[in-house]
Amino acid sequence: MSESTIVVDHVHKRYGDTVAVDDISLRVAPGEVLGVLGVNGAGKTTTVEMIAGLRAPDRGSVSVLGLNPRRDRAALSQVLGVQLQQSYLHGALTVAELIGLYRTFYPDPRPADELLDLVDLHGQRRTRFESLSGGQQQRLSIALALTGRPRVVILDELTTGLDPRARRRMWSAVESLRDETVVLVSHAMDEVERLCDRVALLDAGRVIALDTPAGIVDRAGTTTLEDAFVALTGREPEYEEEAA
Amino acid sequence: MSTATITAHRPGPAAWVALMVCEAKMVIRDTAGLVVPIGLPLLIMVMNASAASDEEIAHGRSALDVYVLPLVFTIVLATIGIVNMPSFLAYYRRSGILRRLAVTPASPAMVLVAQLVVSLVQAVIGIGIAFGVALLAFGARPPVNGWAALGVVALAIAAMYAAGMIVAAVAPTPNSAVAIGLVGFFALGALGGLFGGTDALPSAVARVGEWLPFGASVEALSDAWAGTPVDGAHLIALAVATVVGAVVAAVAFRWD
Repeated sequence: MSESTIVVDHVHKRYGDTVAVDDISLRVAPGEVLGVLGVNGAGKTTTVEMIAGLRAPDRGSVSVLGLNPRRDRAALSQVLGVQLQQSYLHGALTVAELIGLYRTFYPDPRPADELLDLVDLHGQRRTRFESLSGGQQQRLSIALALTGRPRVVILDELTTGLDPRARRRMWSAVESLRDETVVLVSHAMDEVERLCDRVALLDAGRVIALDTPAGIVDRAGTTTLEDAFVALTGREPEYEEEAA
Repeated sequence: MSTATITAHRPGPAAWVALMVCEAKMVIRDTAGLVVPIGLPLLIMVMNASAASDEEIAHGRSALDVYVLPLVFTIVLATIGIVNMPSFLAYYRRSGILRRLAVTPASPAMVLVAQLVVSLVQAVIGIGIAFGVALLAFGARPPVNGWAALGVVALAIAAMYAAGMIVAAVAPTPNSAVAIGLVGFFALGALGGLFGGTDALPSAVARVGEWLPFGASVEALSDAWAGTPVDGAHLIALAVATVVGAVVAAVAFRWD
């Protein structure tokens, strides 16, 4: 087996009295798409934020391409693309201005037109970020995450807030990233089944299953990933309201 | 890709320029943030200029030169440093913009620097417009000791920005940054002559006001304009405010 791109080793994280992440370990292979599933509060976002270097673990260690995400942030940011949950950008800047700005951060950025095509925002290129719909803001955030041709991509709630057409477009974008290592946080079972090579199922800050989607279904003795989720966590999956 | 092939690459001059241009657009598109720091001091200057331009104080300099312009310049610097800049930084932090930048090669500190540079340009423009109107429309004259005046302005900018960084550090939200900034602005201003001469204040209060950034800036600029030696205590007060503000901000400022 080749060296893992991402190694999360016995990581713990608390916020006051709340245990957010409780001894999570996982490895992500080069080119793998790992889905991270769980209900709100399961520890998904905290885990990926530690991978991205935005939070330090209380205990345990995280390594991405052999780098410490906190200590080696400057080096890692060259090859890391992150789409944060509820990310916001300079509200008074237009889509084109923001893409232009982010392109200057990287030595070999994707062309602006390619990014606009990828997220279908050509028609909004002169629209200010604050005037975009929630779904359009999400799509722009994804475009910015991919601006620097990252080797490792973290997508936190990739399609939350997107309409069905935009969701499919985002899925195609992720499928085009097959050479990159991707960590995809999601609530959507169909999305995870379609895009992910393996799934880490989190509950109460712990990994309770880590396998292929089919492997998790087999292990739970169910026929769908959604049923497997319910069987293994004892919780109903959460659904966002359909986007307009 | 192995670790050995990944090297830290900080964004180059193009990124700095792009970030400053974007920060400038943010300021320009924020109408109140653009107009108030330039328009309010200009209004105050125009309202006082006619009456103050006839009375000579020293070395051929009128009350407009010695009292009004130092006050107007200080208002420009204080409005931008204590009210505008912290509200932008608090907004960036609250909205997650700094956090978003933290996962790119551009560090959030670049935004801070870009915002400082844009604020500085705005301050220069504000002072330039006020001085230009005073020169052309009201016969104002330049300071007798021009280099001292420039030095005081530079020190006052540092002191006001340092005070603003304290506001940015302690304010949890953009609204609270504006509120704290305004309270700070009016408090420092009231003690430093914003609402009239400090002669009306109790002497101890007036003395304290002179040592705070607003009052120290007005007094030191006034000395430079009149051609009298700038009181070292005012320069020290501005320097101390700068150091204290920088230290407090360094300890308390949160990126997210």
